[in-house]
Amino acid sequence: MDRRSDDVLIIGGGLQGCAIAMFLARTGWQVTVIEKNLAGRHASGVNAGGLRLLMRDAREYPLSLRAMEMWDNLADLVGEATSEACEVRLGTSQIALAMDTAELEWARARNQDMLRRGIYSEELIDAEELHRLLPGLANSALGGLISRRDGHANPANAARAFRDAAEAAGARILEHCVLRELKPKAGGSWRADTDAGLIEAERVINCAGAWGADVAARLGETLPIKVLALTMMVTARVKPFVTPVVIGIDQPLSFKQSVVGSLVIGGGISGKPCLEEGTSFTVMDRMASSAAATVSAFPALAGVPILRTWTGLEGATPDGIPIISPSAQHHGLWHVFGFCGHGFQLAPAVGEIVAQSLIDGLVDPRLAPFSVDRFAPQPKLVDEALQ
Amino acid sequence: MNIPTKPMLSGERQDALAVDADVIVIGAGPAGMSAAIELASAGCQVIVLDLQPTPGGQIFRALQSNLEARPSTDSLLAALGSAYNAGRTLIQQFRATAGIDYRPETTVWDLRADGTVGWLKGEMAGYLRARHVVVANGAMERPTPFPGWTLPGVMTAGAVQTLIKAGRLQPEGQIVLAGTGPLIFLLADQLRRLGVRPALIARTDRFRDKIFALPHIRPAGIPALLKGLGWLARLRLAGIPMRSRVTELKAQGRDRLETVSLTVAGRGMELSCDLLVVHDGIIPAIELAHCAGLALEWRESDASWRPKTSQDGKAQMAAGPALTSGPCRIRISGDARQIGGADAAVAHGRHAAKAILAELGRASVRPPVGAADQTATDVQRTMAARPFIDAAFPLGLAAQLPDDTTIVCRCEEITAGSLRTSIHGGATDMNLIRGVTRCGMGPCQGRSCAVTLARLLGEAATRTPASPAPFRARPPLRPLPLGALAKLSGLDPELAEVVSLEDKPEAALGGDTNG
Ligand SMILES: Cc1cc2nc3c(=O)[nH]c(=O)nc-3n(C[C@H](O)[C@H](O)[C@H](O)COP(=O)(O)OP(=O)(O)OC[C@H]3O[C@@H](n4cnc5c(N)ncnc54)[C@H](O)[C@@H]3O)c2cc1C
Repeated sequence: MDRRSDDVLIIGGGLQGCAIAMFLARTGWQVTVIEKNLAGRHASGVNAGGLRLLMRDAREYPLSLRAMEMWDNLADLVGEATSEACEVRLGTSQIALAMDTAELEWARARNQDMLRRGIYSEELIDAEELHRLLPGLANSALGGLISRRDGHANPANAARAFRDAAEAAGARILEHCVLRELKPKAGGSWRADTDAGLIEAERVINCAGAWGADVAARLGETLPIKVLALTMMVTARVKPFVTPVVIGIDQPLSFKQSVVGSLVIGGGISGKPCLEEGTSFTVMDRMASSAAATVSAFPALAGVPILRTWTGLEGATPDGIPIISPSAQHHGLWHVFGFCGHGFQLAPAVGEIVAQSLIDGLVDPRLAPFSVDRFAPQPKLVDEALQ
Repeated sequence: MNIPTKPMLSGERQDALAVDADVIVIGAGPAGMSAAIELASAGCQVIVLDLQPTPGGQIFRALQSNLEARPSTDSLLAALGSAYNAGRTLIQQFRATAGIDYRPETTVWDLRADGTVGWLKGEMAGYLRARHVVVANGAMERPTPFPGWTLPGVMTAGAVQTLIKAGRLQPEGQIVLAGTGPLIFLLADQLRRLGVRPALIARTDRFRDKIFALPHIRPAGIPALLKGLGWLARLRLAGIPMRSRVTELKAQGRDRLETVSLTVAGRGMELSCDLLVVHDGIIPAIELAHCAGLALEWRESDASWRPKTSQDGKAQMAAGPALTSGPCRIRISGDARQIGGADAAVAHGRHAAKAILAELGRASVRPPVGAADQTATDVQRTMAARPFIDAAFPLGLAAQLPDDTTIVCRCEEITAGSLRTSIHGGATDMNLIRGVTRCGMGPCQGRSCAVTLARLLGEAATRTPASPAPFRARPPLRPLPLGALAKLSGLDPELAEVVSLEDKPEAALGGDTNG
């Protein structure tokens, strides 16, 4: 059996785990990533690939902005050829539709708030501009928010790119390797029993995605995560008619048109997750609302057939932003999961900032909102009071 | 851990949920029709869903409309012969039986083990529920990926039969029939009667196979064999050129088929060709069973999957997690269960119906204890010719796995070569390969490439391959228009309760984080 001692053991080879591994390994840290399946096989490889600042929670903004810069210069991070394969398309814009007055009111208030914070990437647009940008949009659409810088990338290839870059930087990536037991050792380090033998490490980062709360629970730390099997639908190919990614405000709406013409429809609806078996089911009864939202926004799409669906497992927190934080109970343990369906875009920045925090031995202030402390049993979060 | 979904359908809850019928039958071919007749005659409410506009399935396709169109179809009916006209009584009985709610032109796109069936008709879609479901969706032709198989001008025997029966069309020009299995001879004989003379029947089977198959002959199978010999004899009498031991079939042409080349007993030949009709036997259509989470078995000898069922068709759940809980309410009948042809399908449909009636407590007269189970005996008798046919017509066109340049997935145009590359690169199961290569992602949902990909995986396996698992089958199994889904009826109130991501940020996040 293999026995070695690392600076860091990362549990989970999704984008978050691999991005952190890549930055740490580049500074010379000895890093092992263990992944029970293949790296990127779960949320990171099967998500919608949306790269958006649009409708980001303001608390995520600093990370999201940094991430956007990094996606924009992906070649610097992972190399020219690899970045090409990630098909990063920024500047196609993302648009949030206001289909009724309540949504329009929300969009206005949101826009005001963002401006007040000095965040200018989101603009309020009126019905006229909206209809110009989105031919075929139902007349009833009243306006919306646009983030012109936004776009999308190929998630499977991006997950692969970060995995390979981490490995190239010297991180050891063990796939098909399950964590059996994890124990803090006297003196502050960790001992992990894995399919690949015992691994000792100074620190552990829990990047186990939808399984993150399970890993934490095994160490006695209870974190509030709801596991979702987010469902995507793909249609037959139609003539290209829309470049921006379109999302809903209160509607379960999210779609983009792929290069080949098929529509990729999301909307945040969960199927049935089966965490233990690492799988999930599509529940079509629930997808009716997603189809209805799509058709009411774009009536001409009613005849377009859905060809297939898929689901991806993702963890969601009660306040809609992730956990990126040292453990409240154990030294040398970080939790980085619960990305609430929008962690693909954040990944490069999460990698950079978490790695830097570890190296500095100091939590970067941009990570403050993502602390596990916010789930302490008592005083609830500020935003609760303001609903 | 806080998993949002409530426990899914329990056995009791499903009964509490209103059912739309006692039994839903999927497919109005011989198996589906005979099951429905038996069930409805015993007083059950039966809903029959079928893709086609009239009942009959593959074999009796459009028979009703062709009968109604007489005398203009007299010659067509005569040409199609007794194999086709035999469906007449069954169809008449099916239409005449009260209690059968027959819904033609209806596509099934979802099936759940608890008896829930997703349907689509025109622009309407919904779910229906029943205490029992009989899956009788038949078989499909074995995909035959050989060089040029996707060229226009190459068709399967089944597709040609559809043109003849439903389109009342007649193929023209220089026609080559290639492959094996009874259907190719039946079709050749039907073409002959229509006055169409194929230029060549290129058989992949060898005389040796027949010799080896002889020990499999059962007395009860002899009538079926005689039928087959009859077709052959008539073809020979008509002087239609026929070659056996054909290998290395290739279809060539720029935009469409122009020539066919093949090797007969080691000698190459090439002939010009307008229509190449291929057939390599049929295999059970498993997509509904697979979608419902039912157990399948891979049969290497037949290079295909079939559902695991008891003799009366009762299916069992596959191991692993399931969408619904409670008892499995599905039976599989006819060719969808086990290839056996029309007579066997009729017998099995009846047998499955009897078993359902017994479970519903509606068996008209209980057979005296110890008495022979008539429907079971009929199933055995009608399947008697099968072992001989299977041995006499082994895999032909598909026997050799395709070379690297041949397309395997025709929807996405993925070659065997790129699949092999991805397999050697470490992709160990069909879903991974689909993710990497897009093989099986097209409109056919992998129906025409799944068995070939499973075999490519087997070819690369170092250890003896375990039973390969087909592509994950998620609904919708067939294209489902967004508009129809938007207005989906028959939702399961509990399942339909939407669990969604709630990540909409506050419009204004108070507390002024910073300016
Ligand atoms: C359908 C869908 C659409 C989405 N769309 C978008 C979008 O458009 N834009 C966007 O920004 N985000 C989107 N997201 C969210 C995004 O995909 C995720 O937030 C992000 O990928 C999370 O990365 P991760 O590394 O934390 O998780 P994952 O990719 O799930 O990685 C976690 C890994 O940990 C492994 N693991 C777990 N437990 C163990 C263990 N005990 N031992 C070893 N390994 C273990 C798992 O196998 C898994 O590979 C979407 C998500 C889904 C599901």
